[in-house]
Amino acid sequence: MAQYMLLLYDDPKGWESLSPEEMQKATEKYMAWTQKPFTRDSHRLTPDPGKVIRAESGHARAADGPYSETKEVLGGYYTIEAADYDEAVKLALAHPHLDYGGTIEVRQVWGS
Amino acid sequence: MSVPSEPGALLEHLFRRQSGRVVAHLTHLLGPAHLDVAEEAMQEAMLRALQTWPYQGVPDNSAAWLFRVAHNAAIDAVRRNRLLAEKTDALVGELSSSSAAITGDPDLEEQLRDDELRMIFMCCHPDISRDARVALSLKAVGGFSVRELARAFLADETTIAQRLVRAKRQIRDRHLTLDMPGGPELKSRLDSVLDVLYFMFNEGYAAHEGGELIRQDLCLEALRLARLVASSSIAEPRAHALVALMALQAARQPARVDNSGDLILLEDQDRSRWDRQLIGLGFHHFDRSMVGEEVSEYHVQAAIAATHVRAAADRAPDWQLILYLYDQLISLNPSPVVALNRAVAVAKVHGPESALAAIEPLVNDPHLRDYYLLLAVRGHLLLELGQGAEAAACFRAALKRPCSEPERRFLKRKLALAAG
Repeated sequence: MAQYMLLLYDDPKGWESLSPEEMQKATEKYMAWTQKPFTRDSHRLTPDPGKVIRAESGHARAADGPYSETKEVLGGYYTIEAADYDEAVKLALAHPHLDYGGTIEVRQVWGS
Repeated sequence: MSVPSEPGALLEHLFRRQSGRVVAHLTHLLGPAHLDVAEEAMQEAMLRALQTWPYQGVPDNSAAWLFRVAHNAAIDAVRRNRLLAEKTDALVGELSSSSAAITGDPDLEEQLRDDELRMIFMCCHPDISRDARVALSLKAVGGFSVRELARAFLADETTIAQRLVRAKRQIRDRHLTLDMPGGPELKSRLDSVLDVLYFMFNEGYAAHEGGELIRQDLCLEALRLARLVASSSIAEPRAHALVALMALQAARQPARVDNSGDLILLEDQDRSRWDRQLIGLGFHHFDRSMVGEEVSEYHVQAAIAATHVRAAADRAPDWQLILYLYDQLISLNPSPVVALNRAVAVAKVHGPESALAAIEPLVNDPHLRDYYLLLAVRGHLLLELGQGAEAAACFRAALKRPCSEPERRFLKRKLALAAG
């Protein structure tokens, strides 16, 4: 089985209009998905823009991350097991993230 | 940290329940002018739960977790905005010590119930318009969102949002507090609260298609808040009467529609599908409403609901008694809608002809002219008298009035009967 990374992007502002009942439903759906047998690993990233380090004319410098300007933020990632991209995409398509307007990037882990 | 045995399942309505309590408690600490800050803090706590629970597991005491995280978010907001400028430090101190309280502790539970109660009483302040009282109570105490309220009241989101903004402005401008009014003002405020809760319940109880679940939630929330009011020290017998009325009506809810979503008339309902627990609750509060001399509209309505529920499975309810109760109700509230409901009892006791005579004066009533139910009742009575053509005309006219999809299907069935 190959391993795939699912990178979850979302607009944190998008959650503001949800009611407590809807927030609970969303939390339950995410929890159910995280506990699926094909999930190897899952992490949530803190909701801040992060830092980016770039080397410019020979000097490495840290600056505020790519998300200080954009709407969509990389919020978390999963590692899942799947036979191939088709299966990985099929599994990811059922992720509740998509019901709430998020974006999922699927990438295969080299050598797995 | 523990993972629930059922994947992804949390205690039912945990967020909604906790939201009402936390918002009320934070509003108590921050002051009603900062209701928004309280709501945002709770929203932030729920967002944090969404972001962490799926990955790190659900905390052992999830209610306490939400309580604490919302407090911390409120502390951040107070610091960030230098809210109440000179009082910032004192406020942060108060929030911090409150945040350390343990949910489940009897004293804290008592405090939270008290906060919720005060919140409802503030939301129903006479300075706030009636529409806004209902929306604000459901938003702040019931944990309903603008979208859910719009769906429940068949209104658009902008209207609801504006209502809430206006209500919050009135809270700030008139410096409303969470203090309980005293003396005669307490009595009139209690009336306003009961009126709002009754309205909330009726909105949820009305048969509408789409968003049915949300409307059922509305009924249950109205019942919960009414029980909260009835269980408080300031409750009067009519508060118990209102709980009884809601519980006895809500008990019949599961039998009101068939599997295809069509309405079933009370007399045709499968009584085994009535909710025994709600019936028990209803009678418990009905008994408690009997204390003292007071006979409110809620008392009479509850008595009517009780008479329906009491009827043995194979027998018709005591229509004579129901008619007598409607006569009493009319003397308390001579509204055309009550008169129309009374006509149904008249028909059962004195026959359709007398009932037709009873609703004759209503036909030109401006409040009922566009009410499909008047025409539906009229058609029903004419049909019983064998006047099919006239009955069909009534049902056709009723179908032209605003009504919900299940009601429309019901009218079409009756029309087919009358015209056939």
